[in-house]
Amino acid sequence: MGARQVGRRATIVCAALVVAPDSSVFTPQELAHQKVGLDYGNGTAYAGLQMLEGAMPREAVTTVAAATSPAERFAGLMRGDFAATVLQEPWITVSEKAGCRLVSLTFFHGTWVAIPATNPEAYAALLRGITRAVHRINADKRRYVSYFKRDWAGHPEVDALSPEDFNLSRIQVKEPTAIPESEARWAWEWMASWGLIDGAFDVTAQIDRGLERQAHELARG
Amino acid sequence: MTMTLAIERVTAFMGLDVLVARDEGLFAEEGLDLKIVALPPDEMRSAAEGSAAKPTTNQGKLQARGESQMFQA
Repeated sequence: MGARQVGRRATIVCAALVVAPDSSVFTPQELAHQKVGLDYGNGTAYAGLQMLEGAMPREAVTTVAAATSPAERFAGLMRGDFAATVLQEPWITVSEKAGCRLVSLTFFHGTWVAIPATNPEAYAALLRGITRAVHRINADKRRYVSYFKRDWAGHPEVDALSPEDFNLSRIQVKEPTAIPESEARWAWEWMASWGLIDGAFDVTAQIDRGLERQAHELARG
Repeated sequence: MTMTLAIERVTAFMGLDVLVARDEGLFAEEGLDLKIVALPPDEMRSAAEGSAAKPTTNQGKLQARGESQMFQA
């Protein structure tokens, strides 16, 4: 068996559906039949679909392929390539400073994927280090927003951000846990309902419970 | 004895915890030598090249060729 999911990661991603400053759109419903740029195949794109489908019939959801880079999606939005796009930090903050409007916001929680030969002791050490980092970040989020800038150093819009510009409620981390089967099943069935994957959900094919359990038990000591 | 683990590159929006733990020496204190490996820029493909039904992705490419054990999905 190949690589499978082995646990929740710690950082929860905030994704925002954003329109340009001169847009007439104020609600996600108003994006019905309008082009929304999505980075297909990534969590942000799936978050975008979920925000749209909650606001309109599926047949009214109209998407176009957009770049993986949120910098390029932001630039495309400002050029008018599409009516809206989905951004993550620090580009949500950049877009707000540029006068863009958030019309919907959501959060999603990804997973770790590992090959079967992964050493459970090493994965447990990773989990222990991550857990300690989670406590440090939650104790002083403002101290760590520089990481969002560092990823995009050299982009003038990002370089211009100050730590006070960031909305800390959009930065969420929690101690890593096992993957609840109900959530994995829901995610699979939701993706299948959009035709993004085929077949029935099979928890053993998706999650390596042996490695997940062993590493989490070792991490707890 | 120090253990090693290679993971695919993370950025702050989905892996802030990993970057902080690495920079503050928390993995080293746990006996882990964490290597963060990145796909060469010329091998990166943009989602703009794909479609909803057939997306392009960079996730898992290094793992598939044996250069990492873990990645985030």
